[in-house]
Amino acid sequence: MTDRNEKLSLLLDDYSDDNIDTTIDEVIGDVNLQYRTRRYRIIGEAMRNELPQAIDSGFHSAVMAQIHDQAVAPNPASTAAQESAVRHSLPSWMTLKPLAGFAIAASVALVTVALWQPLKQESGQPGDGLVSADQEKIQELAGQQLTGGAVPVSTRVQTPGTRWKVESALPAPGMQQKLNAYLVNHTEQSNSMQGLIPQARVAGFDAQQ
Amino acid sequence: MGTNLLDAELVKRVQAGDTGAFDLLVQKYQHKVINLVGRFVSDHAECQDIAQDAFIKAYRAINGFRGDSQFYTWLYRIAANTAKNHLASRARKSLGYTVDVDDAQHFEGESGLKEYANPENLLLTDEIRQTIFTAIEKLPDDLKSAITLREIDGLSYEEIADVMDCPIGTVRSRIFRARDVIDKELRPLLE
Repeated sequence: MTDRNEKLSLLLDDYSDDNIDTTIDEVIGDVNLQYRTRRYRIIGEAMRNELPQAIDSGFHSAVMAQIHDQAVAPNPASTAAQESAVRHSLPSWMTLKPLAGFAIAASVALVTVALWQPLKQESGQPGDGLVSADQEKIQELAGQQLTGGAVPVSTRVQTPGTRWKVESALPAPGMQQKLNAYLVNHTEQSNSMQGLIPQARVAGFDAQQ
Repeated sequence: MGTNLLDAELVKRVQAGDTGAFDLLVQKYQHKVINLVGRFVSDHAECQDIAQDAFIKAYRAINGFRGDSQFYTWLYRIAANTAKNHLASRARKSLGYTVDVDDAQHFEGESGLKEYANPENLLLTDEIRQTIFTAIEKLPDDLKSAITLREIDGLSYEEIADVMDCPIGTVRSRIFRARDVIDKELRPLLE
């Protein structure tokens, strides 16, 4: 007990030879130690002539009762200070998160704009982006009679509309019949390969003639 | 050591939500705050109310205390401002004297508290004072010197050891024993 009281005397003078938290815990948890603390303080105050004219032994109890009864709570620290404290406690990469988000958003926007421009050009006017066939060559071919050899089955001509139409005047009538027959036959046998193969097969068919 | 270590620890605890630590701070500074407020207000009940109000304000604001100054300096300023605001809110009642807020805590004397205490408290306090001084007079010289150098002159343990030409451990023991002897005389009055 004497050792405990000596530690208390030491603590009152702002000294501690071991963990100060332990001593404070002992004082908070022991009313007798609190009374002793109070008497030790009164001794010092009396010696320094700092005692009030009348000691009110219930003063601190009244303050604590008011805190408890009115549920008084410490105000939070200022928001700026809290933010600053949080910022200091976070790793540096987390504080850069808003910047990284902005950078990602800007990159996505840039890529979107870059991709949008070619699409816009292609779809701005029907057929504008397509390479137009050599109009003079087409006209020349249109005037020729088929004499065998590889002759284009159809020549697609750019028209103002949205579709490509086949110039029906180009193939010879006999050839047209054979071609039609071939296409029907081919379509029946290869349902899954529509569109491209018939043209290749047509070229091959002509070469075999 | 010796630079308001206890205050710093108690404040830290209060900021962490420990009301028991604030109770210890109130116990430590209640008489000083009451004396300070007594420079402004002569009425006992008012003085007690203002001092209580000052502690409540300090408790509310404790999270804003960052240790840039000593806790008691911060607390005294709150108490002085609370008393000043109290006076300002009163209907220009003449106090008969004026005190500057910043100078109030350095004032000597008991002029402000002459009317506040009831006879029983006045008598008890006077008896406490007499008991303490009588007990000190009875102390052996080494104990009396040690407690006087500490409490009145405010010397550190190291300085007292130099003055008394003894180890710090001896100083620590002498101060404690002096307090313990006085406390045995004082205890019956405060129980």
